[in-house]
Amino acid sequence: MITFTYEGLPLEVEPGISVAAALIKHGERVTRFTRFNSKPRGIFCGIGVCFDCLIEVDGQPNQRSCITTVKEGMVVRVQHGS
Amino acid sequence: MEARYQVIVLGGGPAGLNAAKYAANSGCEVGLIDAGTRLGGQYWRHTGQEDFDQSVHHDFDQGSLLMDAVRANKRITIHSDTNIWSASIINDEVVLRTKAGAFITQRLIIATGAYDRSLPFPGWDIPGVMAAGAAQSLLKGHGVLAGKRIVVAGTGPFLLPVATGLYTHGATVVGLLEASAKYSWARNSVELLRNPSKALEGLGYLMELRKGKVAVRFRQAVIAAHAGADGLLESVTIANIDSEWKIRSTYKLSCDVAAVGWGFTADTAIASSLGLALEVDATGSVTASVNENQLAKQSNSAIQIYAAGELTGIGGSDLALVEGAIAGLSVANSTRDLKVLKKRRKKLRRFAQTLTKVYPVLPGWNSWLTGDTTICRCEEISYSDIKAAQEEFDASDARTIKLMTRCGMGLCQGRICGRAIADIMDSPTHERINSAARPILSPITLGEVAQEGLL
Repeated sequence: MITFTYEGLPLEVEPGISVAAALIKHGERVTRFTRFNSKPRGIFCGIGVCFDCLIEVDGQPNQRSCITTVKEGMVVRVQHGS
Repeated sequence: MEARYQVIVLGGGPAGLNAAKYAANSGCEVGLIDAGTRLGGQYWRHTGQEDFDQSVHHDFDQGSLLMDAVRANKRITIHSDTNIWSASIINDEVVLRTKAGAFITQRLIIATGAYDRSLPFPGWDIPGVMAAGAAQSLLKGHGVLAGKRIVVAGTGPFLLPVATGLYTHGATVVGLLEASAKYSWARNSVELLRNPSKALEGLGYLMELRKGKVAVRFRQAVIAAHAGADGLLESVTIANIDSEWKIRSTYKLSCDVAAVGWGFTADTAIASSLGLALEVDATGSVTASVNENQLAKQSNSAIQIYAAGELTGIGGSDLALVEGAIAGLSVANSTRDLKVLKKRRKKLRRFAQTLTKVYPVLPGWNSWLTGDTTICRCEEISYSDIKAAQEEFDASDARTIKLMTRCGMGLCQGRICGRAIADIMDSPTHERINSAARPILSPITLGEVAQEGLL
């Protein structure tokens, strides 16, 4: 098992899965808030096409959580705006 | 980095894998470029773990053998995790740019597959609403259930394996809604008899679902999703719809996930960049035109570009395998087995045609839209924004709507809403084809472009 943090909260998951899958496993669905209406968004297409599940990973915004593999010690934060 | 191959295959799904295998076995040096971390494409998406749960797949054994054969083939070099951000023809060569450098060839096989077709409806942007393929990819690729109480809805045979996988892995499938009529197969039952393995596969899902008392509810659709106080999906409104998909009556179901799929859209981005002749199939999907050897039409005679799999029309994995094999043989100028393969392709294409008749997406879905329904998820453009552009400024085609509202101009570049907007605007064929172009195929920073010496 590996540990990463989401909004500062440590979460444990099996290695090899995506950030989106890791979050859903722990009941967390929100990856970002939209830039105009501040609406929560999460995984939609699940295969890297729709860009709706963008998230901040280790300080880098605009990462597609559905195709980004979660790593030990990764710092994941909800993205606000784009 | 610059890499040259005699043949380059794009895509590691059924079509691309088979194309690479057949081309290599016919003597070609092949570079197989795949955006995925692991081979298999969407269809054979898997976790890569030793204890990987194969029960989520219909025929993983076949995929496993093919992936092993491709990995073991010394004439095939696999480039996984490799996204092409630009595809062009320069000096009689196909140049494919990636963050790992350029890949160059004169013989290309494009097998880029497809993604879920989505229709907008009120609340489809609430977290918890997702494409049917997203729920499937979470389960197949990551061993994770999308939720606990799940509604599976839309149209097409794909809904059955999705619902079955979710149910057998512990989710409660609170509703399985098929927009087509219960007897839609009746008029085409002869095609089911001609394809008994498909009929048996479907029956297998239905029997499995029966154990969980999950029955398909025909002529029903999710027409709205509702969020709770936490902003997440709490319930959906389901409508009984008529033969034109107009709403007759409604009821609500509580759920934490709605997995909704309306068939598939071919990924034509690379094909379009390279100037391949495109057409619009019976379902309104843009596809690549190919000849009987899967050779695509394009204007440069020094190069050969083939297309195989969903890119040439949505047809499923069996058809993709056959088309990949034909493309792989043809690119190597081999005629071995070609006759048998073409016969099989004919049969499978006919079955695919039948599916489009049995599971049509009817224009009545437009009537489910409300003024505040988001149409373009990226740019947050509502249906009333589009209506305003139409009514106040006389915008009468999808391109003008795009320029006036920015719908389709966000991060996904219209991949999700483009087809829906074309349907709303009743776009003619040439406009649908023109809107398939995506000059930048995947995200790249200016810094990365500069490193390639392209700025």
